[in-house]
Amino acid sequence: MRLTTITGVALALLFTLAAAAAVAGPRIVSADGAITETIVALDAADLLVGVDTTSQYPPQIIDSLPKIGYLRALPLEGVLSLKPSRLITTEEAGPDATLERLAAAGVDVVELPLARDVEATLKRIRRVGELVGHPAEARQLTTTMAADIDKVKAFMAGKTDARVLILLAAGDHGVMLAGQDTAADALLQALGLRNALANVSGYKPASREALLAAKPDAIVIAEARPGQFRPTDWPALTHLDAWQKGHRVTANAMLLLGFGPRLPEAMQTVAAILVNTAPGNDTAHAR
Amino acid sequence: MHAEDVRRLPAPVSYAVLLIILLGAALLALSSGAYPVAIDDLLRMFTGNTPDDPTAELVLWDIRIPRLLLGLLTGAVLAVSGALLQGLFRNPLADPGLIGVSSGAALAAVAVIVLGGSGLAGWSALAGRWALPLAAFIGGSVTTLLAWRIARRQGQTSVALLLLAGIAINAIAGAGTGLLTFYADDNALRSLTFWTMGSLAHARWEDLWLAGPWMLVTLIVAPLLARPLDAFLLGEPVAGHMGYSTDWVKRGAIVLAALGVGAAVAVTGLIGFVGLVIPHLLRQIFGAGHRLLLPACALGGGALLVLADCLARVIVAPAELPIGLMMALLGGPFFLMLLMRNRFV
Repeated sequence: MRLTTITGVALALLFTLAAAAAVAGPRIVSADGAITETIVALDAADLLVGVDTTSQYPPQIIDSLPKIGYLRALPLEGVLSLKPSRLITTEEAGPDATLERLAAAGVDVVELPLARDVEATLKRIRRVGELVGHPAEARQLTTTMAADIDKVKAFMAGKTDARVLILLAAGDHGVMLAGQDTAADALLQALGLRNALANVSGYKPASREALLAAKPDAIVIAEARPGQFRPTDWPALTHLDAWQKGHRVTANAMLLLGFGPRLPEAMQTVAAILVNTAPGNDTAHAR
Repeated sequence: MHAEDVRRLPAPVSYAVLLIILLGAALLALSSGAYPVAIDDLLRMFTGNTPDDPTAELVLWDIRIPRLLLGLLTGAVLAVSGALLQGLFRNPLADPGLIGVSSGAALAAVAVIVLGGSGLAGWSALAGRWALPLAAFIGGSVTTLLAWRIARRQGQTSVALLLLAGIAINAIAGAGTGLLTFYADDNALRSLTFWTMGSLAHARWEDLWLAGPWMLVTLIVAPLLARPLDAFLLGEPVAGHMGYSTDWVKRGAIVLAALGVGAAVAVTGLIGFVGLVIPHLLRQIFGAGHRLLLPACALGGGALLVLADCLARVIVAPAELPIGLMMALLGGPFFLMLLMRNRFV
């Protein structure tokens, strides 16, 4: 009995050592939620030595890692203190001077392009796969994702052209409308849907009247943190037809707008609320 | 120790204490931060040897020393400018923001952040990496000049009018900043939010070469205004009778404050509080005379800002807090406590 325990412990130790030896590869800091998700999804989480504050998923892995702050305000010394060999981030990262100085200090700074459509998302995941040395996993993941996305698109047949309103909620006074040129708009485009706010650009503070005037066919609410959006504070929204008919969903902003490995899930989430939606002219999507 | 006890200390002793605090702050700033630098390595570098960890050398020479120097200069300039303006306005509530320099700099900086890719693309291309600091400096100078021109009547500058013009210009510049904020896209919005919270984190040697000389001018020339400002405390007519050209005193104080604060804000963003509180605090120790007060403000302001910066970069390491936030967070309650204990306003 005792002997088996000792043998077990010894074996476990051996495995741990072997695993540690195997991952003596790059030390990676990831500054972008979707990239962090990708690294975890590719089974390369053990290479991560730090992440930024936009990286929150999956919490069981991310919560134990040092947080370097916000990807647009990266701390030079803070990143260096993690002794990373590589910083993987997007072109949104900054300040530029800090990135330049990190590169000068010998950190391999990789700024990936923003992914705002399906192709770019899959391409970026394959690139991350190369950067973390797990290209086969990345190919596998993108193949699965592409298949899932095709399923969503098949499901969407005949439902495109619906006008969808997307709200970004960060607390009661932080409710924003997502207009053109946003990740939210890109999600709708990926699904072949239309933004209900054709003449709004970027994220703008939500006006209750504008909500009513938008007359969307469906409503998507992206929450920065769960429970941040309280429908009771937004009677204008709950009076909308789309709300009352149940064509609505509230989900995590990083899931919906991250364009990472959960993109198929994000697309499914939005597609699901469009079931039985009858937009003005269902067949007219020759546009 | 109560303020009354402190005041009895002879000035040289108080200066010595300030200097010790300053040196302590500087040492702390060099030895603390997210990146661990061993004390041996620190000593080795200062004696001209190569440290064990090459990154440590980079951290020290490229990050901490410029950051320390920028912190010392910025804190000193903000506090000295605060003291100058409090003397000029004969009002303990005056701070460098009052003459429009901060709001003007903020407006210009936010304009570059928001419109740098569109309306101000030409400027951004022309000024390159200096587009933002230069614009902030120009913005701060222009608004101050405007307030000053409005306050000119028959060759004289009315201090009361300057104050009111400053308030109006602050409101207008604030509205302009708000308008730009509204039109800002997501990226610009976040950048400008961080800029308005101030930071020493981006200090580089180039920033020091760019802004340092202007700040030094303010620090070196300000003591020349000490005697006339003392006379000002007795009222403008008295100062005139004592033979000081009151208009030149006003011009001097405004130009020095605009120059120094404009340069500081340009490279660090908005850092409030130092300019208001340090002169107050040190007046308790050194008295109201500007000859002792102005140099003390330079030492005290520098020390306070460097200490706040040390905290800002270790509290949430490896991330960093904006220093403007840190100042208000630390200084606010402390200042309030001082007010309640001494009732000295």
